[in-house]
Amino acid sequence: MTITRINVGPVHPSTHGVIRLVVDLEGDTIVHVEPRIGFLHRGVEKLAETRMYMQIPPYTEKLDYIAPMSYDEAYVATVEAAMNVQVSERAQYIRVILLELQRLASHLLSIGLLCNDLGQMFTGFMWTFKDRDIVLDLLQEAAGSRMFYVNMRLGGMREDLPADFIEHTLSTLKYLEHRIPMYVSYLEKNPIFIERMKGVGVVTKEEALDLGVTGPVLRASGVDYDVRRNNPYYVYPKLHFNPKYLQSGDNFARYKVRILEMQESIRIIRLALKDIPEGNALGAPIKLRSPNPVNRISVVSRELPRGECLMYMVADPQKPYRLSIRSPNMINLAAIDHISRGARYADLFSILGTLDIVMGCVDR
Amino acid sequence: MLKAERDSLVETVSKMKSEGFSYLVKITAVDYVDHIDSIYILRNIDSRKDEILEVTLLPSDLWVPTIMGIHESADWYEREMSEMFGIEIRGRKAPRLLLEKWDGVDPPLRKSFTWYAPYKTKDDPK
Repeated sequence: MTITRINVGPVHPSTHGVIRLVVDLEGDTIVHVEPRIGFLHRGVEKLAETRMYMQIPPYTEKLDYIAPMSYDEAYVATVEAAMNVQVSERAQYIRVILLELQRLASHLLSIGLLCNDLGQMFTGFMWTFKDRDIVLDLLQEAAGSRMFYVNMRLGGMREDLPADFIEHTLSTLKYLEHRIPMYVSYLEKNPIFIERMKGVGVVTKEEALDLGVTGPVLRASGVDYDVRRNNPYYVYPKLHFNPKYLQSGDNFARYKVRILEMQESIRIIRLALKDIPEGNALGAPIKLRSPNPVNRISVVSRELPRGECLMYMVADPQKPYRLSIRSPNMINLAAIDHISRGARYADLFSILGTLDIVMGCVDR
Repeated sequence: MLKAERDSLVETVSKMKSEGFSYLVKITAVDYVDHIDSIYILRNIDSRKDEILEVTLLPSDLWVPTIMGIHESADWYEREMSEMFGIEIRGRKAPRLLLEKWDGVDPPLRKSFTWYAPYKTKDDPK
């Protein structure tokens, strides 16, 4: 049979950003997918070599614009590791609370966009988008803005939690806890959703390890690996964090892992809000000249909503000599050729939706 | 951090894979001007241990063998490293550029690539 070549993107409603996919089809079956990336490449790793340490968070935040605070924290933690700065216990709790709220916001958008990708299931998109906004309101309350926060400082936070934050968060969590079963019943009782998710885009455990996929995609394939448990940081061990993983490795598992993770996040935020100690949460104010780093090389790994981000930094006085960022989205996207081979053309977008990529992070 | 020789890199990575380091986390490089370090971060998922392999290369002789035969995920990392540092990857067909076509003579993440105006501090050499 002849091979038909179709170009998807770079500007396409289902590509989650600016990406071009060159798809080879045999009839309706995908033979080969080649992602062409680089449209959003801003050279953040090179830019980082020209800026002082605390001038860099605004750049790293804009890598993943769906979950900026997670990247902010990953970078600041790398600098803290280089400078041997300890984070106070209250600041650790605040970071965990805000990061988990960020994860909730990110997963809500991911599930909403998946509904969109599956063919105009706009109800799902509207529901999750509305609820994400409520979570963003909380982040705005704590950090002063809806998207780009830059609220991490060396050793702590820019500011402590506002007065009513705990109360507002608890009521939002209660609301979300009642909403998540609504999404589940809306989506999982829909035969079209099930048809397009179950058994599509299967990645086995061995394939997942070989392809190097990470985050919810890895855990959906039966690999019980989560940085928050396996290489724990902050107060996650105290909160008895329990990673969620499933075995089937298909689209449905990737969606379901995110639902389960949201429920786990809600549980963790509740516990953290209950246990949060009094004390100083403020970090060092931003000064152009920061203390000089103690460690030449620091490697820090963090579980972002989309997977594991690893930062490898070689430190110089005042500026990084080299900052290498392992983008979880890039490696998940690299696997799309393997995952979608043999699937039908229409399934390409549901697979792309469950991989949940952000192009700003892929291109860096 | 382990030092690895370029000639035995493939055997080392392959041996580590059989010892349980079956997950490739990242391939990157650092330009130290007089030499370039190619860095391989490998992980043992079960024992929760990371190992960093460092291969030192001279600027006059910049190539590493591909490890795609052992870890499929090395594909994009090798392409990125090759494009950003000008390190030739031997043992695989010359890949298409991953990110962009660069007009400059030097690969972008090499220290010799300075199209920008670096932020100078008082301590920096004039």
